[in-house]
Amino acid sequence: MNKLKMKREKLGKNKQIRMIINKEGEAMQNIRDSILLKFLCYILIPIMIFVLAISIIDISITSQYGEMDGPEEYIETEEFGREYLATLISNVQDINRDKRRMKASAEEVDTSMDLNATETSTEDIERENPYDNYSEIEDESYAYPVYYESIQYNNTRLSPYINYIIIDKETGNMFTNIRSNNYLEEINKLRAEKTNWSYQDGNIATNITSINQESAKYITSSYYSVDNFEGYEIYSNIDPTMLNYSNSLYVQQSVYNLFKGHENLPSYLIPLSAISIIAMIVYLIWATGHEKGKEGIQLNSLDKISYEIISIVIMFIIGMMISFAVASIESQIPQRILVSVFLLCYLIGYASLAVWVATTIRRLKAKQFIRSFLTYKVCRWIKVTIQKIFRKVTDKENTNRKITIIYWGFVVISIILACTMWSGIGLIILIVFWIWVYYKLLQYNKKIQKINEALRNIYEGNPNVKLNEEELEGTLKIMAKYINDIAGGFTNAIEQSLKSERLKTELITNVSHDIKTPLTSIINYVDLLKKEDIQNAQVEQYIAVLDKKSQRLKKLIEDLVEASKVSSGNVKLNMEVINLKELLNQTVGEFEDKLEKKNLKIEMDLPNENVLIKADNRYLYRVIENVFSNITKYALEGSRVYIKLEKQKEEVYLEFKNISKDKLNISAEELMQRFVRGDKSRYTEGSGLGLSIAESLTELQGGKFKIDIDGDLFKVEIKWKSE
Amino acid sequence: MYNILVVDDDKEIVNAIEIYLSQEGYHIIKAYDGEEALEKLKENEIHLIILDIMMPNKDGIETLQEIRKDKTIPVIMLSAKSEDYDKISGLNTGADDYVTKPFNPLELIARVKSNIRRYVDFNQVNIKPEAKTGNLLTTGALEMNDETKKVTVDRKEIKLTATEYNILKFLLENKGKVYSIEQIYENVWNEESYGAENIIAVHIRHIREKIEINPKDPKYLKVIWGIGYKVEDIK
Repeated sequence: MNKLKMKREKLGKNKQIRMIINKEGEAMQNIRDSILLKFLCYILIPIMIFVLAISIIDISITSQYGEMDGPEEYIETEEFGREYLATLISNVQDINRDKRRMKASAEEVDTSMDLNATETSTEDIERENPYDNYSEIEDESYAYPVYYESIQYNNTRLSPYINYIIIDKETGNMFTNIRSNNYLEEINKLRAEKTNWSYQDGNIATNITSINQESAKYITSSYYSVDNFEGYEIYSNIDPTMLNYSNSLYVQQSVYNLFKGHENLPSYLIPLSAISIIAMIVYLIWATGHEKGKEGIQLNSLDKISYEIISIVIMFIIGMMISFAVASIESQIPQRILVSVFLLCYLIGYASLAVWVATTIRRLKAKQFIRSFLTYKVCRWIKVTIQKIFRKVTDKENTNRKITIIYWGFVVISIILACTMWSGIGLIILIVFWIWVYYKLLQYNKKIQKINEALRNIYEGNPNVKLNEEELEGTLKIMAKYINDIAGGFTNAIEQSLKSERLKTELITNVSHDIKTPLTSIINYVDLLKKEDIQNAQVEQYIAVLDKKSQRLKKLIEDLVEASKVSSGNVKLNMEVINLKELLNQTVGEFEDKLEKKNLKIEMDLPNENVLIKADNRYLYRVIENVFSNITKYALEGSRVYIKLEKQKEEVYLEFKNISKDKLNISAEELMQRFVRGDKSRYTEGSGLGLSIAESLTELQGGKFKIDIDGDLFKVEIKWKSE
Repeated sequence: MYNILVVDDDKEIVNAIEIYLSQEGYHIIKAYDGEEALEKLKENEIHLIILDIMMPNKDGIETLQEIRKDKTIPVIMLSAKSEDYDKISGLNTGADDYVTKPFNPLELIARVKSNIRRYVDFNQVNIKPEAKTGNLLTTGALEMNDETKKVTVDRKEIKLTATEYNILKFLLENKGKVYSIEQIYENVWNEESYGAENIIAVHIRHIREKIEINPKDPKYLKVIWGIGYKVEDIK
């Protein structure tokens, strides 16, 4: 029990912990998705970097120079002396290097031109200016050549601000960056300057009061050895006011001034800013791509640009900004402009870098990094295209394969041949190819026509088509197979329906036999009854009804059998050429008495020549007979019946027109349906199948049978193909 | 007194036939299937058989085949089967006539009479051939004596109008050949037809009605629909 309780408690605790975790997770998510926080980080990072940078600069300045109050003060430092001497040394080294090179080449010329006129050649060499950065100028007060620094070559940042005169004691050549008419006087002037540094007879000396002989020696003995000045005399000074124009010095000065009085501040700021930068960067790396209320990494439109392109653009911007910044520091533009230019460059550079890093991280997080490379896309496209082509070419099911290979193969070969020295042969191959293609197209068309014919046959209702699949290939072969299958299906269906129709007919025929036998007895005994001498008028009337109805039943059965036989096509036709005109005359002869009885007058409109058609004469007579029979039964007594026979171009047209004695409240279609008669109830004569049989028989023999009802006008149209 | 064997499995039909034919003076022997019919045929002297097709034990066609093995007596098939095919197979097996059920009693009587007369005549001709004088035109049992202008069918005289006589004479003279209305007109009247040809058709119908037992199913003067008319050449 205790254990259980403990367990339950434990479980509860777990639940609580989980809830806390969940809550923490939610809080983390909120932090992660916060736009404000991200924005803040993006703003703070450059500021912190700036703070870090100036702190580092300040520390480096203070460690290098100790204190730094201004150019005048700086000049008095040993650090300045070191920098100053380094500048002079580099100038001397330049001169020395050029001089040595000149000497070496002179010696070479000496040895090679030993036998020739050496005097002239040495003169020439002497005249030649060997110093890259200097050009010779005239000075009457000085006996030797004077070289003026025509190309300012900034060896150090102090170079532009130092005035100097260097005399080569070996040759007497003077090197200077001062413009003057009297250089001896200039030497004296320099020597009198407060900031003068000079070197004479192996001794370095300066007028700067804070640097005494000892400390000057100390400076030169360490790194910037005075040995470099061996063989030269040097006079130089620097104008402290000019130093104000040095940008780097200005930056150093500003930074130093910023922290003046709080010298310890940078040593706190460096770790602080560094840690906060790292923290913010880590946060941004973690948070970037997440948005509030959205699952997964959200990519913006920038992330959809190909990675190379965005990288190149951003690298270009950053590069530009760096070079602008460096150039602006190096240049001598006014320092207030310098600050704003530098800050602008810094911010643009930072923004670009931030964008680039952020997009890189988002791409990595979304696993889209490689995919966002343009190179990747291009490679992929090439790969897919090649695969597609390859698949097309190798796919045996694809019927275009052969065509593709042969056609393009020929085209490429022809073009290659036509473009080379084999152009003649290429042209011949091209022509052969064209002829071959034409021939193949014709062949193909022929095959298609065959298929088309088969389709037309099926469409027209002759599904007894069989295409030879072996003759065809590719898609056509498949088409042929389908068509054969469809045709087979149709044939089967038609056969099935014919078979069922035949069975129906057989059934009706057999049933009719069974009905006929008792009907025979009925008819016979009714007939016998009629002959009996019956004295009862009532009975006689009954017998008359029986007689009439039994006769009607007989007719009905006969028509039923015939109708079913005819509609199922279960009729053997014996087609021969028949004169329709003769047939009409014969039929009129047959019906003469019946027509007379109903007082119907026949108006015949027959052509003079014979009208020949192809039909089975007995069945054709059945058609005409049924029409006449219909007329004698249903035409208005005493009216005229119009019969028109016309021979048209391809057709024979036969028309019967009569006036119905009863109102025809029925459509022609309904009338043609079996067991439907013009008047639905009253007529007891006939079976109502006559016209239906006539229609079926006409169609069976290739004609067309149509009924038209227009008010009381009853019209039968029969069309036949002319023979 | 002629003996007629009536064979049908339907007793009422047999009885009805008996009534009709007895009135005409024939003696009727009845049988109700093929086997019985053959037995009755052996036992009695029979002059004509009326035979149904669909019967138990032995059907009409089989029975007819048996009969035709040694007998030439006329056989009239009487069947509910009205298909052309049935008629042709019956006639081919050796039937002399084919009547479909339900039958018209008068037609049946007429056919019985005709067949018996012909059967008896045929036997008599063999015994004492009558000298046929003058222009005697015949086909089957149809005879036309052009001298006496007498037309008989099964020895029964037929009364024809002059036009009817001329038409029948022309066709009988050219028996077996088919003539169109126009040709008949031109040959009989010796002048060109003027278009009212259906008069000829009417005349021919009248002739048929007079000489044929069933004008709708003529034996002698046949209608070839859409072509013309002919007189069948019957030996």
